[in-house]
Amino acid sequence: MESPMPARSLSDISCILEFAKLDAADLKPCVQCLYFSEHLENDMFKLIELDEPVLEALQHGNKVEIRGDPSEGAVLVTDSLTYDLKEAETSNSMLLLSQLTFGAELQKVADREIANKQVTSVVHNYYEIRPIKPRLKKLHMLLMNNPYRGPECEGDELDTGKNYTFRELQSCIQASDKELRAGLLKMNACDIKGKWRLLDFEFSGSVIYHIIQLCEERNWLSEGVNMEECCQVLGELFPREVIEHLVQCYSREDDASAETGESRRIYFLSEDKICKHFAELCLRNSGKFNLNDFLRAWQESVPEGMKTSISQLEGMALMDKDSNPPVIWFYNVDELPEEISERFEALFEEKKKWSLDEITPYVKDLTDDKTDVGALLTKFARASLQQGIKMFSSRKTS
Amino acid sequence: MVRIVIQIPGERSCKEWAIIELQGDLETRHPVPLSSKFIGDLHFTHKDSPVLIIGHHILHGKVLTLEKPLAVLTKSLDHAKHVADDMAGEDPEVLPAADSEVKALYEVQAIIRKKILFKTRPKPIIAHVPKKL
Repeated sequence: MESPMPARSLSDISCILEFAKLDAADLKPCVQCLYFSEHLENDMFKLIELDEPVLEALQHGNKVEIRGDPSEGAVLVTDSLTYDLKEAETSNSMLLLSQLTFGAELQKVADREIANKQVTSVVHNYYEIRPIKPRLKKLHMLLMNNPYRGPECEGDELDTGKNYTFRELQSCIQASDKELRAGLLKMNACDIKGKWRLLDFEFSGSVIYHIIQLCEERNWLSEGVNMEECCQVLGELFPREVIEHLVQCYSREDDASAETGESRRIYFLSEDKICKHFAELCLRNSGKFNLNDFLRAWQESVPEGMKTSISQLEGMALMDKDSNPPVIWFYNVDELPEEISERFEALFEEKKKWSLDEITPYVKDLTDDKTDVGALLTKFARASLQQGIKMFSSRKTS
Repeated sequence: MVRIVIQIPGERSCKEWAIIELQGDLETRHPVPLSSKFIGDLHFTHKDSPVLIIGHHILHGKVLTLEKPLAVLTKSLDHAKHVADDMAGEDPEVLPAADSEVKALYEVQAIIRKKILFKTRPKPIIAHVPKKL
């Protein structure tokens, strides 16, 4: 058996310094002699980059998790943030030392001193993290596979897709818990018996129809929906959780009076959300629609007292006012790709040139603190002037 | 599906480790196990600039603070216990997911905030200066 290297002596060190033509007087007297550890374990340690929020989460014992489907690559999540995780390789050797004293921390001593330091591992790769927006497209896709069409349809011949609990979604969606919850809320997913479901458009349409009828009967459009009474009356037709969910979804968010105690909850239906729903009823599945006919039919379809307005259609429908006759068609931002360059590609395929006002609702959700709509357009679109108006088109077409 | 939990064990206070980064690889003349082998002497000048002598190479480097600190992770061997603990605290309605889910636990052994980088070409030591004939 090979004996371990004999410890280095002061004379060994002085000798090599002399060979190296280094003047010992220029160096601090403390020398750290580096050795490979007896149990050199190069594969035992993984290195991962941290930023302040992740480090803080670790130090507070909060959640830090790596998640993901092997096919999509892994993400790192905290309670509220999502990071892309990438392995980085370097041709440099990184020697890991559990103890090492940097120059400034060396004790001031008069005589030369030797300290032995062990390298526990030599590493050539580490994981980089980069904050990203949560990838929620798949969430929509998974839930769309088996929309909820009412209690009587559960288990019928069309009810073949899988339904997901929150826990199951956590392990297959690349998003933090907070972002996942926000995503479910945004797509109006409903918790039905512990599974997160999207409501079938026709089914929810029929529930909303009944809610509005009841509201008109009881004058709730102006006085507010009495949730308890609403659930009691409609409870014979639909499950309570669906009624509650839809009343909440279609109510004004900013309403401070929405909650007036546990027993008597009052909700005010939002004019914008109800009108948007009726526009979708008109436009979905009907291709290009004569704009003037649509505007008339739409206003007639909404509950009395509600006023339709083109601004309610932002991000849901596109118009061409220059065609003869002017037309409108269903085009929903929620159904477009979430990856930025793919989004722009889809947009320019739908329509060659966009004004700033037109395109904003379709890219607004891609912005973050650092990148606003203007910055996105600078990077992913080409601007040109058309009759004095700035228009945006694809960078790819010549 | 994969879920890997990362946490600082115990009291959540972490040791600080360091990295010495060298260009290329450390090799021995003969292929022998590196365990316990001597690497070199690390000196600091009075201006705290690091000097490393490995074999017949002198390297001059500098101390850098990492822009993003690195965590040193090791895979926990008793992660089965942890998973059981984790499940116990869950809402009974959100039961463990599909059996295809792999779960592992990595523990943060240490945090690295500083490294010594030797990125310049090593200077050779010429030990045997030929004597004038």
